[in-house]
Amino acid sequence: MPVQAPFELEKLSNKEYILNMGPQHPSTHGVLRVVLKLEGELVKDVFPDVGYIHSGVEKLCENRTYPAIVPYLDRLDYLGAVNLEWAYVLAVEKLCGIQVPERAEYIRVILAELNRIMSHLLWYSAFGMDVGALTPIFYAFREREEIIALMEAATGGRLTHNALRIGGFRSDLPKDFLPGLGRFLSSFERKVDEYEALLIDNVILKARTKGVGALDPELAVSYGVTGPSLRGSGPAWDLRRTAPYSVYGKLDFRVPTSEGRDTWSRLKVRMDEMRESAKILRQAAGALPSGEVSAKTPRVLKPAPGEAYSRVESPRGEFGAWVVSDGSERPYRVKFRSPSFSNLSVLREIAVGCNIADIIAIMGSLDLVIPEIDR
Amino acid sequence: MNTSDILDDINKVPGASGAVGPDSVLDVLAPAKEVPGILTALKKSGFGHLSFVTAKDLPSENLIELVYRLFSYVSRIDASVRTRLDRGNPSAPSVSGIFRTAEWHERETAEMFGVEFSGHPCPGKLLLPDGVEAPLRKDFKHEKMTPLPVV
Repeated sequence: MPVQAPFELEKLSNKEYILNMGPQHPSTHGVLRVVLKLEGELVKDVFPDVGYIHSGVEKLCENRTYPAIVPYLDRLDYLGAVNLEWAYVLAVEKLCGIQVPERAEYIRVILAELNRIMSHLLWYSAFGMDVGALTPIFYAFREREEIIALMEAATGGRLTHNALRIGGFRSDLPKDFLPGLGRFLSSFERKVDEYEALLIDNVILKARTKGVGALDPELAVSYGVTGPSLRGSGPAWDLRRTAPYSVYGKLDFRVPTSEGRDTWSRLKVRMDEMRESAKILRQAAGALPSGEVSAKTPRVLKPAPGEAYSRVESPRGEFGAWVVSDGSERPYRVKFRSPSFSNLSVLREIAVGCNIADIIAIMGSLDLVIPEIDR
Repeated sequence: MNTSDILDDINKVPGASGAVGPDSVLDVLAPAKEVPGILTALKKSGFGHLSFVTAKDLPSENLIELVYRLFSYVSRIDASVRTRLDRGNPSAPSVSGIFRTAEWHERETAEMFGVEFSGHPCPGKLLLPDGVEAPLRKDFKHEKMTPLPVV
């Protein structure tokens, strides 16, 4: 919340000045304030100020029963909601020792990967607008709308899906879901190629983003950066591979990385990830076993005292839920580890020395979702 | 370095004890002043990723338990280092020199639980407005907080 940036006004030279970007700024995608120390166009220092939409969700969870917490997670990251729900239900399932039926695992993979594509398409559109390209959003939202229609059919919600239950799902996929998914996948990868040619391979965009905002891999790991923002710097670390959960171990996909370390590499990784997600979707839809979609769970859930941490690869990186049970029907403590929180903290390291317009591109390439940072 | 070597080294640290807990997590309990040393040693043996730092409030034992959650991309195992602080005056050394991400996580833990991190490079509130102190402690009261109705 509004804090004094650690820039002492009296120590500024004649050429330096302070500029507030946000909290209401179109490129911060939410309520984020960034205090900049500038010399002309040159950024001398950056101080992100977060917490404007802190909602105390961790405290709220201590006052809710275990199943009643799931919808709150949708509100943290409204672009990758299923992934977040998944981290939480995995932790509770671990505490209770619930074994989820295989069909439910595959449906979870399908919904989570659709969510990932949805999120990356929105990032692609918003990034285009951030750097002054208005066209991408009109194309990308066409595909995104198809996915949202599929998600709505399966879960009832367009963005806040509230899809997952502890133990599996409330109901099976609707009958026309898989044919619809097939239709979507039949043309999606061609569209990704088109979109990449339209924005990412564009000469002007390359000139703006190549060599800008270089992030050293060791520094990135030290700052806890995860997800595509880390893989843009080289390490092929994706929790679906490094710490496989659910049935990801059985699926064949590549972890896209890029060696460039700069803003453009982070963009490229996300485009490649959409192709890999399509590959996963095709395999999961093909291998979808028949059977139950939910394990037998008690009506009143009282996990044995203990604690569990589980994490998933959300569209932005490692999202984790640390759940402590004291044996009652409400958790004693819940902590959500959010990827955007750690990804934003590295901004100071990569933005100092660039121009003010580059800050917009760099922040866009980190793909921040503010409610997830503030929680 | 395998798990048993790491555990041997940790158990040599005065007051510290380590074991492989449920879910094959390396579970370490250590006094606060030993935590930076243990984290440095763990980082050297491959635990390069600090997922989060947080705490839980244990008013019945008059303790605040700090938790540092680590993951090794090399051996792909988790570690959780915990330390117990006196609830009246909780203070622990900052580890932001070892893991840069700890800077923000410690600021969050400090404001949420009223823990002091000595040697922190940029102390101060991160998420909360002025006037709200330690909301994640169990005895925190707020006029708008009402218990969930029992249905």
